[in-house]
Amino acid sequence: MALGGGASTGTAALAAHGLSKRFKKKIALDKVDLSIPVGSVTALVGPNGAGKTTLIRVCMAFERPNAGGVEVDGVDPWKHRSEALRRVGYVPQTPAVYRGLSVEDHLSMARSLHSGFDSDYARRRLDQLGIPLDQRADTLSGGQAAQLGLAMALGTRAKVLLLDEPLANLDPLARREFIQVLLDAVKSDGSTALLSSHIVTDVEDACDRLAILGAGKVRLDCPLEEARQTHRLTEADSPPPGATAIGSFLGKGGKNIMTLWRLAPGDAAGEALETASLEDVVLGYLAAGRGTGLQLN
Amino acid sequence: MLDRVRLTYKQQRFETVAVAVVCLGAAAWALLASWHLNSVGVPASCLVDGGVPYWNGPANSSWIPVACQLPSQRFTDALTSLDVGLASSLGDVLPFFVGIAMGAPLVARELEQGTAPLSWALAGARWKWLAGRILAALLLIVPLLLIAGLAADVLRGAQEPGIDPHASFDYFTSRGVFFVLWGVAALMGTVALGTLFGRTMPVVIVALIVCLFARATWERLMDGNLLHGMAVLEMPGVQSPGELLVYQSDVLYLDGKVYTGTDCWVSNGVPGCQYGPGDQPGPSSIGPQLAWYVITGDHYWRVVALESAVMLAGSAALGAFALFWVGRRRPY
Amino acid sequence: MLSRIRLTLKQHRFETIAVTIVCVGLTVAALIEAYRLNSLNVPLSCLQSYQGGYMGPSQAPVTAAQAHCNELAKSFNDMRGSLDMNLVQLLLLFAPILAGIVVGAPLVAREIEQGTAPLSWALSGSRRRWLLGKVLAGVFLLAPLMLAVGLAANVLEGALNPGLNPYASFSNYLGRGVPDVFWALAAFAGTFALGTVLGRTMPAVVLALVVCFFVRATWDAGMTHFVLRQFAVQQVQQDQQQQQGYMVYGPGGPGNADMYVYYKSFIDGKEVTDAEVNAWYNQNMVCVPMPTQSASTSPADSSSPGASSSPGASSSPGAPATPDNSKMGDNGVACQGPNIDPSHMPQQVQYVIPGSWYWQTIAFESGLLLLGSLFCGAIAFVWVDRRRPY
Repeated sequence: MALGGGASTGTAALAAHGLSKRFKKKIALDKVDLSIPVGSVTALVGPNGAGKTTLIRVCMAFERPNAGGVEVDGVDPWKHRSEALRRVGYVPQTPAVYRGLSVEDHLSMARSLHSGFDSDYARRRLDQLGIPLDQRADTLSGGQAAQLGLAMALGTRAKVLLLDEPLANLDPLARREFIQVLLDAVKSDGSTALLSSHIVTDVEDACDRLAILGAGKVRLDCPLEEARQTHRLTEADSPPPGATAIGSFLGKGGKNIMTLWRLAPGDAAGEALETASLEDVVLGYLAAGRGTGLQLN
Repeated sequence: MLDRVRLTYKQQRFETVAVAVVCLGAAAWALLASWHLNSVGVPASCLVDGGVPYWNGPANSSWIPVACQLPSQRFTDALTSLDVGLASSLGDVLPFFVGIAMGAPLVARELEQGTAPLSWALAGARWKWLAGRILAALLLIVPLLLIAGLAADVLRGAQEPGIDPHASFDYFTSRGVFFVLWGVAALMGTVALGTLFGRTMPVVIVALIVCLFARATWERLMDGNLLHGMAVLEMPGVQSPGELLVYQSDVLYLDGKVYTGTDCWVSNGVPGCQYGPGDQPGPSSIGPQLAWYVITGDHYWRVVALESAVMLAGSAALGAFALFWVGRRRPY
Repeated sequence: MLSRIRLTLKQHRFETIAVTIVCVGLTVAALIEAYRLNSLNVPLSCLQSYQGGYMGPSQAPVTAAQAHCNELAKSFNDMRGSLDMNLVQLLLLFAPILAGIVVGAPLVAREIEQGTAPLSWALSGSRRRWLLGKVLAGVFLLAPLMLAVGLAANVLEGALNPGLNPYASFSNYLGRGVPDVFWALAAFAGTFALGTVLGRTMPAVVLALVVCFFVRATWDAGMTHFVLRQFAVQQVQQDQQQQQGYMVYGPGGPGNADMYVYYKSFIDGKEVTDAEVNAWYNQNMVCVPMPTQSASTSPADSSSPGASSSPGASSSPGAPATPDNSKMGDNGVACQGPNIDPSHMPQQVQYVIPGSWYWQTIAFESGLLLLGSLFCGAIAFVWVDRRRPY
């Protein structure tokens, strides 16, 4: 289902330069450099506390960075907030619905707040999913509330979509429907999406790029296929020569400790080994971010 | 249990701190206002019926003995000053503010924020969970309001230096132990509303209206019902300071009979009345007078105990309703 | 914008409905009470001469006509002091501020608490425009309702004080009429500013109640002492002024047309201090024995000796607790003024804001309240842009 190949036109839909954010003593983002190409669907993955939500909130001008900056479609949201937010469609982590308002009321509200909001478009999306417009928002299921949030974000016809773990509370069917709607919209509008998620199958289905955060730093930022090709998984006592250890975790069956390795360029011996699956790549970096096993470089 | 009390305060830390600050501040203010009044130093010989004669300007106050005029003037200035006036009027609002501020979020906020399912699942018995929270609120507001109420008593004593505030019904439902009673009643009522509505703002709105209504009607209800039977007839021209006027009738004959609703007049110095059957005055009657039915100040504690019992019973009923309803309602 | 206002009111439907019901109910209740008082058709002369009870045989002769007059006046006073009347007056006193707090508190704070602020602010782009829409909704709700309440309170004031024109009288002037609108708006602005800063509804309500109580309680004294003092003029034809209205004691003091600000004393045209006036009286007055009288003769008078206070009478902000002092001294001696040429006696000149200045004064004080509202609103508009949405 994913779009092919990580479209890169040299123009970044979202770019972070040396972005740092601290909450008292805790460093949430540590000199993050990230570039999301236009037209891509990027998965933002990382362990809890890695800084994923903070990164998205900085892009939304909800958090002020301590150092560095970010540009959304070329606009700094802290200097030109209204302009930047015109270009963003946002789906928050917890479905934000107004309890006393109906689905139609939500679309009316979005239309009254956002000039250029395409309520017909949003309405069509909701119709396709069978969500009644006159239903009160607090009576919607979790999946329906998430679809309502997505419909409001898509209705802005924004160039950049920021989705903060929108799938976390959804069942597999609801997740699949959500991803399908998202991909259809991205394809038809040519927009760019940054999707924060832990669920690897969704990442594989929806995304063509992978960005992994760990301890506030970007650990990996590349197309999905490149992530698979440049990493190998072996048992802990069988390191590929010249490779860099990323992280160790319990293998399938729970019997062995497996280690994820990043190959050095031109490492023929390493390349001969079986490629790591996307799940292995993600698990390896998650394990590294948790501080278990080997140290990250 | 101590842990639960502590965590309740922590959950509602803003309200806890606000209530503590306001109560202690009000108490301090009342004591300062009392000091302001007492510092005038009105001699006991200048008191009239236990109070300081009100200075109404030199032209209207020339009946006050010379030695008492300056103290009266200074005392009146102090009495009508802003700090004393504000301290006095706090008594009508402070207990309700405290009860509503602590009571509204106790249940309603848990329901609004979605933490009730978790708490109720862990607690098992919802009424025990709520009882713990109510206890925590009571442990906070009762001592604070008692302090503020006693300070209000001290202020009342300063406003009427010759009268024992615990033997006087002057503004008695706006001071002393009534601070605690009103506060507890407001707390219980607000908690009950919280279990009903499950949303904080609606609870605050309804509680404000109900408390306003209750405060405005309490004395009349008590006078007309509970205290009516306790009142005794006061002879005309005889008044004791700090007595509670329960009700009055229009006509009194000194042979002990009282007539109400009788039309009387005086024509050419001769009184005449439209008597009902069997109401003719006796030969020793002095004629129509206003008749007051009062409760004298020495019954202060009895009246306070009676009204406290009624108020506490009402609070208990509201609390019982809250404990009952919390077990029946949905946790969201 | 209309859509936004509609949706805001729908979001806060409980508060909207509650405030509307209370205000409409209060307006109707005030008009009903005024009608009831007016329908008694009590002549003003009866009210002015009413002694509050029946005369004993030692008093001056009372004719049947006077007795009937007394009866009418008694009915008026009984109705004036009735429970429903007190309740209505109490609600009129508190309604503007409570309505403002109730509407203002959840405006921003609830969005932040419930987590819908990030979504709204993301959609809106400009948080200030978003806030403006919500503020306008509150203003459109409060202003007409409070105007209705205020006008009804004016009608009631006219009924409570027959003979006084409520639009040329300062009796309870800040608790009725157009000021009701501005009190409500000031409370509304202050509360939604607090909600914007604190981000939580109950703390905003708690703090707003404390602040509003303090402001309301100190406003009268503060305005009189510091501001209106600069504009007060010598009261002319004092006796005539007092006879124009029915002197009643209620929230805010005597129902006189003019607003008393301060006084000056003069002896033979020279300004003197209170101590000098005291000295003059002590030197020149003659004391004669006088019989002891009962002070209060009005059954409904809350300042009767020993009467417990009713909230309607004593809880008015700024009204001091006044022990009854109208009785004569224990020794049964009272002092009367000296038998000298009245023109050489101490004269007290009151400086007042005349009742004819009602509209100017209202405009001025309402303007101050409006300024305060705008200041609070400005804080909210600055802060909403800077704060985090959670």
